Amino acid sequence: MTAWFDYTINGLIVGNIYALLAVGLALIFGVSHLINFAHGSVYMVGGFIGWLCLTRLGLPLPVALLATVVGCALLGIVIERIGLRPLQGAARIAPLLATIGISFVLDQLAQIVFGPDPRPVPSPLPQWTLSIGGAALGSLDLLIAAIGVGAAAVLYVFLRFTRLGWAVRATAQDRDAAQQMGVNVNAVNQAVFAIACGLGGLSGLLVGMYYNSIDPAMGFQATLKGVVALLVGGLGNVPGAIAGSLLLGLVESYGVALFGTSYRDLFAFVLLLAFLVWRPNGLFSSNRRLPPEPLTGTFLSNRRAVRIPRRVIVAVVALAFALPFATPSSYVVQTLTNGWIYGLLALSLTLVAGTVGQISLGHAALLLIGAYASALLSVNLGWPPALTIPLAGLITAAIGTLLVYPSFRLRGHYVSIATLGIGEIIGLVVLNWDSLTRGPVGITGIPPLTLFGWQLTGARSVYWFTLAVLVLLALLQVRLLRSHLGRTWRAIREDDVAARAYGIRPNRYKAIAFACGGLAAGIGGGIAAHLYSYINYQTFDSQVSILALTMVILGGLGSVIGAVAGAIALISLPELFRFAADYRMLIYGVILLLLVRFRPQGLFGAV
Amino acid sequence: MSSTSTNTADILFDVRRVTRRFGGLVAVDEVNVSVARGECVSVIGPNGAGKSTLFNLLTGIDTPDAGEVRFGGEDVTGMAPELLAARGIARTFQHGRVFGNLSVLDNVLIGAHARLATTRRGWPVVGAFAEVVRALVGSAAMRREDAELREEVTALLARFGTRLTPRIDEPAHSLSYANRRRVEIARALALRPRILLLDEPTAGMNESETAEMLELILGLKREGLTILLIEHKLDLVMRLSDRVLVLDDGRKIAQGLPDEVRNDPAVIEAYLGHRQVGAQAGRSETAAA
Amino acid sequence: MSILWTNKRGAACTLLQLAGALTIAIGAAMPVANAADPYWVGVTGPLSGQDAQYGEQWKRGFDLALEQINGNGGVNGHPLAYDFEDSRSDPRQAVAIAQKFVGDKRILLELGDLSSGASMAASPVYQRAGLVQFGFTNSHPDFTKGGDYMWSTAISQAEEQPMLAHYVTKGLGFKKIAVLYLNTDWGRTSKDIFAKAALANGAQVVAVEAYQPNEKDFRATLTRVRSEEPDSMVLISYYSDGAQIVRQARAAGVRTPIAAVGSVYSPKFLDLGGAAVNGVYTESNFFPGDPRPEVQSFVQRYRAKYGAEPDTFAARAYDAMILASEVIRRYGADRTAVHDGFSKISDVPSVIFGKFKFDPQTRRVAGAKNLDLVVKDGKFALWDGASAVHAQ
Repeated sequence: MTAWFDYTINGLIVGNIYALLAVGLALIFGVSHLINFAHGSVYMVGGFIGWLCLTRLGLPLPVALLATVVGCALLGIVIERIGLRPLQGAARIAPLLATIGISFVLDQLAQIVFGPDPRPVPSPLPQWTLSIGGAALGSLDLLIAAIGVGAAAVLYVFLRFTRLGWAVRATAQDRDAAQQMGVNVNAVNQAVFAIACGLGGLSGLLVGMYYNSIDPAMGFQATLKGVVALLVGGLGNVPGAIAGSLLLGLVESYGVALFGTSYRDLFAFVLLLAFLVWRPNGLFSSNRRLPPEPLTGTFLSNRRAVRIPRRVIVAVVALAFALPFATPSSYVVQTLTNGWIYGLLALSLTLVAGTVGQISLGHAALLLIGAYASALLSVNLGWPPALTIPLAGLITAAIGTLLVYPSFRLRGHYVSIATLGIGEIIGLVVLNWDSLTRGPVGITGIPPLTLFGWQLTGARSVYWFTLAVLVLLALLQVRLLRSHLGRTWRAIREDDVAARAYGIRPNRYKAIAFACGGLAAGIGGGIAAHLYSYINYQTFDSQVSILALTMVILGGLGSVIGAVAGAIALISLPELFRFAADYRMLIYGVILLLLVRFRPQGLFGAV
Repeated sequence: MSSTSTNTADILFDVRRVTRRFGGLVAVDEVNVSVARGECVSVIGPNGAGKSTLFNLLTGIDTPDAGEVRFGGEDVTGMAPELLAARGIARTFQHGRVFGNLSVLDNVLIGAHARLATTRRGWPVVGAFAEVVRALVGSAAMRREDAELREEVTALLARFGTRLTPRIDEPAHSLSYANRRRVEIARALALRPRILLLDEPTAGMNESETAEMLELILGLKREGLTILLIEHKLDLVMRLSDRVLVLDDGRKIAQGLPDEVRNDPAVIEAYLGHRQVGAQAGRSETAAA
Repeated sequence: MSILWTNKRGAACTLLQLAGALTIAIGAAMPVANAADPYWVGVTGPLSGQDAQYGEQWKRGFDLALEQINGNGGVNGHPLAYDFEDSRSDPRQAVAIAQKFVGDKRILLELGDLSSGASMAASPVYQRAGLVQFGFTNSHPDFTKGGDYMWSTAISQAEEQPMLAHYVTKGLGFKKIAVLYLNTDWGRTSKDIFAKAALANGAQVVAVEAYQPNEKDFRATLTRVRSEEPDSMVLISYYSDGAQIVRQARAAGVRTPIAAVGSVYSPKFLDLGGAAVNGVYTESNFFPGDPRPEVQSFVQRYRAKYGAEPDTFAARAYDAMILASEVIRRYGADRTAVHDGFSKISDVPSVIFGKFKFDPQTRRVAGAKNLDLVVKDGKFALWDGASAVHAQ
C-alpha cells in the first residue's frame, strides 16, 4: 500500500518538472498557435548557461538563475524573430518545421562547443529532505514546485489583470483583429516568447541541478514530454498544462510500477494518443467544439510545379542505372543504394504529407516495421527475401494504417503530434516486445538479398535491384497521382469539409494513402534489413522521421521526383562529404530553416 | 408560383423542430422547413439569425441536438455529409470553398465523386483495395465513364460562357472571386443533385456579377432543380423564391410567399426599422455565425 | 571536435586537425608516392549522438598513443595516422563507413565501432574484403564469430560477467540481488550472463529492471525494486546512468550495498555521482593505481596532456593504437600481413593486460583478469576484501 503512495509522490515530483516546460509551451501556443519544438533546446541552453555561471564564473545561485532567465529570454526573442515572424503568412506547419530546424541547430552547436559529455551541476542549496511515507522530498523538489506554481500564478495574474496580458490574450484569439485595435502584435509575440523561453531555460537549470547532470542531448526528450503534457492539458491552456504535466508524471509512475521502468515512455505516448483520440482538446474542454482549421492546404505556395520533360527523366534514370559502370568505387555505389532506400521512405512520406496533407512526424517507424517484418520472416522461418520483402511491405501497410487510423479525425497540429506519438510508440513496442523482436539485442545475421536463388552480394547488384524497385514504385505512385485518387487526395488536403460535402470519405482515402505509403516504406525497410544484416529498434528512429520530412520538403511536397532528389541530396551527399560529419545535424537544421523560410515549395514544388 | 403541396412524396426536405445549442446560446430553435420538389425556397434573416447553422445541420456538417431531418422520405438526421452527397444533396459555402490548388476541371470532377462507379464503396477493406487497383489498371467501363464525365463537365462549364472554359486547367486559387463562386456552382451541378443548397451565392459580388448569377439560378430553376437558398440581397430573393422563410434569433418568425413576407411587421421589425424591406440592397456583412 | 574557447590547446588542436585534413585531402590527390607516407588506420565510432562522449575518450587515447609512436620515429619510419569516421554507433552508418574503408587502399586495419551492434552489422563487409576489424570494445559474445578478420581485446561478456558475479557473491556476500540494467544489447546480454552466474554461485536475483538509455528518473524503479526486499543491488550501466541511479538511491534512503559493472569505471562516475557513490563496488581491468610501469607512464602522460584522470575507454583506445602500430611494424604494412600478424603477435605492452596474446580460436585476449575495486573518499581504490552485506 505504501508503495502506491510512493509512486504517487514520485509521479507528482516528475510531473512537477514537466510542468515547468509545459507552461512555457502552452503560453507560446496560446498566443501564436505554434508548437515550439525548440523549447527543449532552450531548456538545455538554460542548463548550460546556469552551469557556466555556477562553475566557470562562480556566481551565487540567485544571480545564476537570473542570468539563465535573461539569457534564454533573449534566445526566445531570437527564435520568435527567425522561427515565427517571417512565417506569419505561411500555413501553420511552417513555424513548426522552423522550430524543429532551430532545435537541430542549437543541439548540435551545444555539442560542438561543450562536447557531448554530461556535466555535473552543483546545487548550492541546503541539503535537507522531508520524508513523506517512503518518498523523500528535497529542497530542490520544493523549489521546483514553488517556481512552477509561482510562475503559473504570476502568469495567470499577468494575463488576467495587466494590459500587456490582455494584449497577449487578444492576439491569441484573433491576431488581425488585435492588430486593428492597435496592439503591437510583434511586440506581444516577442514578450511571450521571452517569458516562455526564460521559464524554459530556468527549468533546464533546475533540472540540471536536480539530477546533477546536463548534456547537449537532453533537450529532445524534454520537448517530447512537454508536448505530451501540453496536449493533455489542452493546447494553449496554461493552468491545464500544469494539470496535464502532473497527470503525465503520475501515469508514467504507475506505468513503471505495473510493468517496469522501460515502459515509462510507452505509457507517456499511449496517454498522448488516448487523449488525441478521445479528448483532443485536453482535460478541461468540452468535447463538442468544432475542430480547428486544417494545417496544410496553404503550405504549398501558390506557384506551379516545375515541369520536367519526360526525356530528361528517362535520361537521368538511364544514367542512374549506368552509374556503377562509371565508378569503380563500391563506396559511392553503396552510398547511392542507401539513398534509394531512403527514396522509398521519401516516396511514402511525400504521398502522405504532400498529396494528402497529413504531415507525419513519425514516418521512420514504417521503415522499422518493414525491416523487422522481413528480418523476422527470413530469420525465423527461413523464407527467401524475394518473398519476405513484398510481404514486409504488405504487413507495414496493414499495421501502419491500422495504427494511424484513429488519428484521422484530427486536423492540423494534432495530426503531426499523433504521428509523432505513434512513431515513438512503435519504436518502444519493438524495444519491449522481447519475445517477438528480441528487444534491445536486435536481429543479427539477417541473410543477404537473394533473388530466386541468385545471391546479390556485390554492391552493384544490390544497387540495381534497389534502384529498380524504387523506379517501379515511383511509376506506380505517379500513376495513382494522375488517376481519380490523385485529385481525391488533393481535395482532402485542400479542404476536407468541402470534400466531404461531395461524397469523399476522408478516412477511406487517408487510409488508402497510408497503405500505399506503408507499402513503399515497408519494402524499403525490408531491403534495408537484408542490406545491413543487423537491425535494432534504433535503426530508424525519430531523427530519421524528421530527416525524411526535410527530404520531402526539399524536393517539394507531393512531388515524386522531388522525393527521390531530396533523398539523394540529404543522404548521399553528406556521405561524400564526411568531414562535415560533426556538423551533419547542424546542416540539416539549417537547410530545413532556409527551405521553410525561402522556398517552402522545395526544388520541384508540386501540388 | 407553386401551391404548397400536401403530397409527401413531393416534399424533398422535411425538417421538423431542429434545434442546436452552443452552451447557453440557442442558435437554431425548433425550426421547421419543408421544401417540395422543384421549389425554390429562400431563408433570410438578420446576421446571427442562425441561417448558416441551419444549413450545416441540413448538410451533415453539424448534428442537431433535437429534431428530425427527412430527405426524400428517409430519415437523415445526423448523417455525415458524404452520405448526404450520395443521396443527391449538393451545397455551396458561404465564403466559397473551392479546392485552391486543384485546376478548375479537377474541382468540378470532384463534384461527381459520389455518383461514380469508379469510386463506389464496396466492402470495407476489399473495396478500398479494389479502388486502388482500378486507379492503377482501370477497365474499359471505367475509361468510358471517365470520358463521359469529362464531356459532361465541359458542357457544364460552357454554361458560364467564356468565364470558365478558357481557364479550365488553371488552379482555382488564381481565379477571380466571382469565378471561384461559379466553379463552386459547377462543382455542385456535377453531382447531379436532387436539391441544391446555396449559401449566399452572391456575397461580395458587384451588380453585374449578381445579375449574372441571378440569371444562372433562374435557368436552373427553369430546368426543375429544387433549390434552398440563403441570401441577403432581398431583391434577388423576391425574384427567385417560391417561398421565403425568415429566421431571427434562431427562430422562424415568418414564412410564406415573398410578398406576404415582405410586408410582415415582425419581419420588418427584425430588420430594425427598415420601412420597406428590400428597398436597399443587402449590406455586405462581416463574418457571421 | 570539442572547441572550448578557454582551451587554447583545444583550439590549436582543432586548427591542426583542419590543416591536417586539408593536407591529407590534397595529398591524397597527388599520385606521387613518398617514402615517409603515413600508414593509415581507419576508426569507426561515435563523434556525435548519444554516445559521443565515449568517442571523445577514444580520441584522447589515440592521440596519446600517436604522440608516443610518432615521437619515436613512427612505424618503420612512417608516421601512423587515423581516420575517425562518425558512425554515431549506428549500424547503418557503420556499414557505410566499412564500405568506404575497404575501398580506400591506404587503410590497413579498422578500429571500432563502440557498440557491438554497429560492429556486427559491418562485419560481413570487412570479412568479405579482407580488412581486419578490431572491435576493441566489443564484448558481445557473437562479435568475433563474424569471421577470422574480427578481433577484439574486450573481454567477452561471457567472461566478464561471471567474474563480477564471483566478486559480488563470494567476495562481497550478496545473497538477494536486485539487478538494474541498461536496456541495450550490451546490457541485456550482460544481465543474462550475470544472472546465470550469480545463480550458479548460490545467490538469488530477486528483482530485474531494465531502463532506457535516456532515463533520468529512477525513483519509481527503486520503489519497485525495494518491494522485493533485496539485500544488494548490481548495476549494469555506463557511468552517467550508473551515477544517476546511485545518487537517487541514496537520496531515497536505500542503504544496501551497490556494485556496478566495469564500464562505470571512470572519473566521470565520481564527478556526476558526487558523495553518493562512495562505497560503490566495481571492477576494472584498468586501474591507474596499478603500479606496472606501462600503466603509470600512460596515466601520467594522460594527466599531463588532458588534465584529468583516464578511464577505460581512453585506456583501451590507447592500447588499440599501440597494438595496431606493433602489428604493422612487426608483420608488414598490408592487409593480409596485418591479419596474419594478429594471430601471431605476443608480448605487446598493454596498459590493460600487461603483455598478452590473442587466443586464435576466440580471437580475444587469452586469460584476462579483473581488479576488484571500491569507491572510497571520492576516489577508486582497491577492494580491501571486507564483506559488504549488512542487516537491512
